[in-house]
Amino acid sequence: MDLFRRIFGGTGEEVPPEQPEKTPEKSKPPSKIQTAPGLEEKVAEESKTESGDTEPLDDGVTSEGDAPQVQDPATRPVGPPPPPPNRKFVPDGVTQPLNANALSVGRTEHITIGLASDVGMVRNNNQDAAFSMYCSGRSADDLPDLGLFVVADGMGGHNDGEKASAITTRTLASKFTKQIYMPIFASDNEDADQQPTTEALIEAVHEANREVLRYVPEGGTTITAIAIIGDLAHIVHVGDSRAYIMTKEGGIEQLTRDHSLVQRLIELDQLTPEEAEIHPQKNVLYRALGQNETLEVDTSSRRLPAGSNLLICSDGLWGLVEEEELYDITTNNVDPQQACDKLVALANTRGGADNITAIILKIS
Amino acid sequence: MPETTQFGTAEDNYGDEGALKPNTILINRYKVLGTLGGGGQGAVYQCRDLNFPDAKRLVALKEMHYPGDASMRATTMQTFQREANILATLAHPAIPKIFDFFDQNNRAYLVMEYINGNDLENLLTKTKELPLDKIVEWAIDLCDVLHYLHSHSPDPIIFRDVKPANIMIDSLGKVRLIDFGIAKIFVSGVKNTMIGTEGYSAPEQYKGDVNPLSDIYSLGATLHHIVTRKDPRLEPPFSFSERPLRQFNEKVSPGLEAVINKSLETEPANRFSSCEEMKQSLLAVRYNPAAAQAQSVPGAGAQTGMVGTDFFDGEDLFGSIEPRWKFKTEDEIRGGPTSFRGLAFVGSYDTNVWAIDIESGDFRWKYATNGGIAVAPTVDEGSKLVLFGSEDHSFTALDYHTGRISWSYTANDRIRCTARVAHDHVFFGSDDGRVYALVSGTGRYLWEYDMGGPVRGQPYVTRDLIIVGAETGDLVGLELSGQRKWSYRTRRAINAAPLVDEIEGICYIGSFDGYMYALDASSGYSMWRYRTNGPIISAASLANDMLIFGSADGTLYAINSESSKEKWRFSIEKPIVSSPLIHEGKVYFGGTDSYFYCLELKTGKELWKFQTEDSITSAPYVTENVILFGSMDRTLYALPLVD
Repeated sequence: MDLFRRIFGGTGEEVPPEQPEKTPEKSKPPSKIQTAPGLEEKVAEESKTESGDTEPLDDGVTSEGDAPQVQDPATRPVGPPPPPPNRKFVPDGVTQPLNANALSVGRTEHITIGLASDVGMVRNNNQDAAFSMYCSGRSADDLPDLGLFVVADGMGGHNDGEKASAITTRTLASKFTKQIYMPIFASDNEDADQQPTTEALIEAVHEANREVLRYVPEGGTTITAIAIIGDLAHIVHVGDSRAYIMTKEGGIEQLTRDHSLVQRLIELDQLTPEEAEIHPQKNVLYRALGQNETLEVDTSSRRLPAGSNLLICSDGLWGLVEEEELYDITTNNVDPQQACDKLVALANTRGGADNITAIILKIS
Repeated sequence: MPETTQFGTAEDNYGDEGALKPNTILINRYKVLGTLGGGGQGAVYQCRDLNFPDAKRLVALKEMHYPGDASMRATTMQTFQREANILATLAHPAIPKIFDFFDQNNRAYLVMEYINGNDLENLLTKTKELPLDKIVEWAIDLCDVLHYLHSHSPDPIIFRDVKPANIMIDSLGKVRLIDFGIAKIFVSGVKNTMIGTEGYSAPEQYKGDVNPLSDIYSLGATLHHIVTRKDPRLEPPFSFSERPLRQFNEKVSPGLEAVINKSLETEPANRFSSCEEMKQSLLAVRYNPAAAQAQSVPGAGAQTGMVGTDFFDGEDLFGSIEPRWKFKTEDEIRGGPTSFRGLAFVGSYDTNVWAIDIESGDFRWKYATNGGIAVAPTVDEGSKLVLFGSEDHSFTALDYHTGRISWSYTANDRIRCTARVAHDHVFFGSDDGRVYALVSGTGRYLWEYDMGGPVRGQPYVTRDLIIVGAETGDLVGLELSGQRKWSYRTRRAINAAPLVDEIEGICYIGSFDGYMYALDASSGYSMWRYRTNGPIISAASLANDMLIFGSADGTLYAINSESSKEKWRFSIEKPIVSSPLIHEGKVYFGGTDSYFYCLELKTGKELWKFQTEDSITSAPYVTENVILFGSMDRTLYALPLVD
């Protein structure tokens, strides 16, 4: 049953007789109710007890001045459920039709995680760094699930690469947890100085950049990180590590854009993706941490539908494993750890020329 | 990362870095005085020529290392000797003379004229600004020398590496081109991931295709760098067009901008066909006070009606198109119009709501309250009622056809908040600090929610939440039962209406603190904020991933709704309070400068503007091929929609 009718009551004493027939069961709201049974029960209970206490009110025209002035949160049986979904945006000044399918409440039911990082078959040190953190809870506080997942691919001789990627993941985790997750744990969303999520992510990357410049001046690193709050994924990205989202309906989609010379040439139609794969300068990045004080950072946000998979990986994986294979191995394996291990193994059978790192999140 | 090449330090003549120590004498003739630049692969030394014992003749010595591999060494040596021979024959005032070349200790040396001066890279760091007229003169000389090289017979010489570091300004202020691409022969392939790009090379050079037009691109890139002072090595490659010259240096004339832009075209065929052609274009834009003045002719004067602009000749396409009709009320129109079944409704500060026939512009009915009306009326299509609040504290529902009152409700203070109808209910706020929920068909009171301060922005209602802001700076998400689900605080008052992208579940809200915020509509957690330089009163509009809104800083912003990156902006001279309307690839909005604007959605280019006699503060409305909007000049305008 529609949430709206549950809240306002649903016996329909004032509903014109023909209207309930216009509300077939298919107008049932989507995943919100299904994915958050606790919430639904709570709402239903509240609405039951409240409507029991409610005095029926005179339904005639309220004339000026005689409207009730006291707050009365009573729930009352009222009109028909919302009309069918309408995806169009209506300009200001127009009555907004309801969208029955939109806006599910932000909670994912379950996330499982896999992580693998391997030196590969050629290098003798692993300059990649990976970080994974996830917490969830169920309580009356209704706190969202929180997660932070980071892949960084370090560059530079004399162990500078691994130092740069390690400092970067650690700094990002520390800054972001403090700025965003701690206030959420404290249930504090009303501090006007609270930073928006992506702003905090960008600032954390800038902080990591300063740390790399300071402690590993000869090193550099990429970073691709996903912060999860409820069912929203916030992506922050510099360099040529990648994040992908995979869904049954949508297939595989790259969420990040490589900051590489060849990617720019592809975007300008000066190079084909096939030419890029064998280009002598395919490893040239134009943006990375540890290069300069100023750093432009890409961000985006995505809502995660149930059944979707996220993959974050370094170029050691995507350089050797085709997108189709990434999709198949990630979606066909129920266990994300197994999927990560298989991806790494596949890259190694193809030479493992670089360090290989993969983090997979499965959202159910 | 740049990898430092290590080479033999066994020889006494070489220091720790592998560079020649001062006082080393090469081939019994050149005595090293010091290092001029480079290091590792590309060291350049200042030397004294001992063949002239009585004169202090200075030369520059460029040093290059042969590869360790024996087979490679032979080819490199041959190439070096061939190219050095060519360079030695060149004669142009901007090319330093090559005196000699020789090999010693597995290194190759070029002996060149010593130039006393600074390279442009150096000048860029030493100065805050270089005079534009000088830059144009240097550019003309550079075209000249490049044309000389490209005209070399039998084969054109491509410089390959035009960049500030390779351009010297000598003690006489003349341009000298140094460091011919000869050094590249000695660079072996680097396999590791590297950060940083050359920044000045043309796209086709990365495909191994180098021709005279590549030098034109690099010259354009160099000019772009010294004019904008934005180092291309720190920017995405080939992204010059994203940094418009005149945005970074307003002294640049449109003519010079056009020349540099043309030299930076991605496709070689779209650039100048030769350096000579580019030189002629530069000669034409040389600083010329008379011409400069002619370029800044102000636009057409202020007059009522369509005004043509640079991008679009309004005269031709619109001719003298008049509004389909105008309807004058008795006081300011502060809120926007709306319509239903052929009638337009608008509230006026003259206390009336007016109903006007959309076809003819004829008066149909009016309804008077006891106070001015500052909101846009809202139509409940289900009960066919027109709903609005008034300064007299009343909230009224009228039959759309007759204008007869159906019901009314009284708040505790004036109502300056446009109502929202959804779920057969009507939601609105009042200056008494409450958000009210009434049954829209009957006016029956359901609940109210105390926001703690005046509520003036139209609430947004989703499937399960009412999202509304208040002057306290708070934005709240209320459940349909009136219970608060979440709240978010901005730094200053919220007078704008929130917009929710119901597909993505993102709520956009502007605040007096100057920020546009993006929040998760279901939880109130903020995702990003975008800063403007004035209060945001205008609600945002969304088309695909383009979020468009105005600010009191006088600018209409179009940003990417996902990343908050700016796509374009359009500035007028007065604050923008009116919410923009997006319709069929165009953006419509009113300014407090009294103009009504139509822009192209993709680019923000002005298509036309229409002048009224006072500020426009409310949102436009589109129906049946007309755009309706009200102005503080008391008039409701109906402009025909033109393709």
